[in-house]
Amino acid sequence: MASLLSTVFSSPSLVFTAAFLLRAYTDIDYLVFTDAARFTFSSPSSSPSPSSSRFSGLLPQGSPYDRETYRYTPLLAYLLWPTTPAAAAWLPGPRVLWASWGKVLFAAADLAAGWLLVAVLRRHRGLSGPRALQYVGAIWLLNPMVATISTRGSSEGLLGALVAALLWAVLERRVVLAGFLLGLGVHFKIYPFIYAPAIVWWMDAERMGRRSQRNSSSSSSNSLLAKLQRFVTPERVVLALVSLATFAALNAAMYALYGHDFLQHTFLHHVTRIDHRHNFSPYNVLLYLASAAAQQLPAPTGGAGGFKIESVAFVPQLLLSVVLIPLVGAKKDLAATMLAQTFAFVTFNKVCTSQYFLWYMVFLPLYLPNSSLNRRPRLGLAALALWVAAQAAWLQQGYELEFLGRSTFAPGLWWASLAFFLVNCWILGLIISDLGITSSTVSISSTKPKRKT
Amino acid sequence: MRQRTTFFHRNEDAIDPASLQVSGRTLSGPSIKAVREDRFTLGLDELPAELQELLRLSQELYIRWASPVPYQAIGPWSSRLSPGLHVFYTPQADAKANVASDHELCLLLRRLGSVECSSPHKSFSRLPNDRFSHSTALEYYQPVYDLSNFVEYVVQYACAPSDAECKTRFDAVKQASSLDFSYDTISHVVKVTSLWGRQHQPLSISAPASHRVEVGLLTPNEPPHLEQHEIGVTGLLTVLGEDSKPAPTMFTFPSRHKQANTGFSSTFLTPTGLHPTMQLHIDSNQPPMEEDSYCALHALLTLPRTIFADKYQLDDPLFLASKNLTALRYISQPVDLEAPDYVMDIWGSSVLLELSTPVTESKEGFTAEIPLHLRYQSPQHGGESTFEVPYPAVFWACAAEEGTKFPSSPFDRINLGYDGLFGPRTLFWHLDPVAKSGSDQLVVGGKVPVLDLDKSRSINTVTSIVVVVGFAWVVYRLLMVYLRTGYGVAQPVKAAEKKQQ
Repeated sequence: MASLLSTVFSSPSLVFTAAFLLRAYTDIDYLVFTDAARFTFSSPSSSPSPSSSRFSGLLPQGSPYDRETYRYTPLLAYLLWPTTPAAAAWLPGPRVLWASWGKVLFAAADLAAGWLLVAVLRRHRGLSGPRALQYVGAIWLLNPMVATISTRGSSEGLLGALVAALLWAVLERRVVLAGFLLGLGVHFKIYPFIYAPAIVWWMDAERMGRRSQRNSSSSSSNSLLAKLQRFVTPERVVLALVSLATFAALNAAMYALYGHDFLQHTFLHHVTRIDHRHNFSPYNVLLYLASAAAQQLPAPTGGAGGFKIESVAFVPQLLLSVVLIPLVGAKKDLAATMLAQTFAFVTFNKVCTSQYFLWYMVFLPLYLPNSSLNRRPRLGLAALALWVAAQAAWLQQGYELEFLGRSTFAPGLWWASLAFFLVNCWILGLIISDLGITSSTVSISSTKPKRKT
Repeated sequence: MRQRTTFFHRNEDAIDPASLQVSGRTLSGPSIKAVREDRFTLGLDELPAELQELLRLSQELYIRWASPVPYQAIGPWSSRLSPGLHVFYTPQADAKANVASDHELCLLLRRLGSVECSSPHKSFSRLPNDRFSHSTALEYYQPVYDLSNFVEYVVQYACAPSDAECKTRFDAVKQASSLDFSYDTISHVVKVTSLWGRQHQPLSISAPASHRVEVGLLTPNEPPHLEQHEIGVTGLLTVLGEDSKPAPTMFTFPSRHKQANTGFSSTFLTPTGLHPTMQLHIDSNQPPMEEDSYCALHALLTLPRTIFADKYQLDDPLFLASKNLTALRYISQPVDLEAPDYVMDIWGSSVLLELSTPVTESKEGFTAEIPLHLRYQSPQHGGESTFEVPYPAVFWACAAEEGTKFPSSPFDRINLGYDGLFGPRTLFWHLDPVAKSGSDQLVVGGKVPVLDLDKSRSINTVTSIVVVVGFAWVVYRLLMVYLRTGYGVAQPVKAAEKKQQ
């Protein structure tokens, strides 16, 4: 075997072919990450200091933000250290293999997420091991969309693992770990902040095993102050403090290292960007129209003085994902609530690409088995078919635009994105309705598991 | 003011020296098929006040215009630029001048055509100053393909309202193949050079009493020891008003720019979509210098901001090799890879690519493909906008022999955008741009799909309604759940409900 491998990798043409095929099967984002990692671990050529030269490949001396369009935390670039030329001296084997390290890492994160989902299903849904594995395998691990996105090198798999771990930690009542994961997740990709209200709401005294205490202290009082006192449990305080401290510490460290670049590219960019390149969001064509109109006055269409939905897009999005869904659902079924929150966040977002779908797909193995979509297969198939069809229509229009140069922005892309939005709203409605129908297994998650320790 | 007019013709187009007549301050003769160059050297005080003001705030200013109409270049004027208006500029070092010149330069440029420049600070790109010192700090380009506005501006200043002859003289500039304006604080003079490509030129030059006019009638000459980086010429020189007959002359001078005597053309592969590929057809893969000197074929693309190259895409050797490209040697910074056209101030970008030439025994044509990307443009009625890209400058860059120097020659041309990116010993062998059949212009382009304004009247309203409806539906479902079960732990499903499912 070893000799076969050495033959393969000593043949330049084979390595060449392999490299070429790998390149073709690589997401553009992966090139951004690996470039950023290369910049991070390359020493600034102007001042080579001889004392640090021996370990220079190990230290992040450069900045990932030297790579344009790198809009992530530097942690991601650190994780991809093995793909850099600087790492070559420290790692055995040919570089062409290590260049795919990130893909291996992201795929491993998918597996880790799957393992955590199985654990949640077994310990909190009362499913047997094989049955849990069956669900997670069918819906997450063997999901072609998930596998493709991760192996092409998109980092969303890491987020999936982080979020699955967060849910697991919360259900296991590991409050400090949950706080740490929440802070880390928000530092990594902002959006997991929507889970904070759901987790906090779920984490009431009863659930955390403090029923007796509550009863003794202020069971009869229903004044606002008393309610507030009951709300502020030690677990909630710990979660808030740990998550805020983690988030703040990571940001402070990254700000100290990379200054304004870090703030600008990781966070502020998402506020100031003009999301004009076509994507699945219902706001997309409207944003293109509005951003162009803002440049030339008077506006070409009559929308100048009227109501601008795009400027208040965050209102329905955050109202649903941060306030209403957690409020109604968190105490009923935390996993399904987090799914609904994410679904709402992605559906109502001003930008939406297929990678974002992974954000909610990670929760599907926990929701689908008991869902109305599963219990009524025709409903489930209809939902899946509509979800796929709306995307297919959009992709077809997008292809005509991107490669054939036809102006399909309106009505083609626009209608397709609105149709996709409405399909998503309908599916979201189904998920939310399911929150109100308690199945026999859901209630298990509300009882405290026996801790092994 | 001094004027130097040079006709450069091929040996076979020579005219009989006896047919030239010098009388007083006029030289006349039969028309001649030649390249004509007029060079005016002016003191600052001979310029319009606003221009004087601007130059006082400038350290260097080179404005170069190249015609989109193909022309034949011979002799020392073989250097090429992409068609359009190029500005190379270094402001005075002190900050106060910087602010003032910001305003002045764009004001002046706007007189030359529909120039979008708002200020050098915003609209110009920075040139690298780390590699070689001889380039300006800033660069600007605008696709101005017509000099009418410029000629009107000059006529207003230079000609008396009744002087028809003066107007005619400047009108000829509208047909020029290239026009150069050069100023630097060291020489403290302005040189304005206009060039007409090889064609039949009337031979009749008069010198106004106010300034010195020198007329040259030159043709190539190859003395025995002519070096490859030199050009030899022979011919007749006349200083009008001083000489009674043309004086014969013969000299050689080093020249950075030479002709490769081969051509290229540029086109876009269809369909262009939003990611057009520029295809360059190069007529010959043979380097111009046969001896063992190092030569590499380069293309300098001047890309208006509608279109750009992604330097990261051009970073992959395997990908480049498949397109007959060797490497991206230079790209002006910054190039925003995401911004739509309509929010940008910067003019665009220039890109220097080294092409890889297939090695064959005999001369062979080949193509190279350059992947480019279009920005989103403003919505239009009809859903279509256009983009135009001038032909690139394509040349072989060869290393001249060790110790070769290029002292400034009477025909020297520096600051062309690419010369500063190469070492001082580089020889440039230029390929002639050839317009594609069916076109008489050295400009290629295509259509850009944009949002159709005719179909977008209801976008605001309908999107708003759909979002509100979707939101209302989700809230309704939430409300139903809330009314049934509150916000607490869900009650067990009633037996009846379960049966229904």
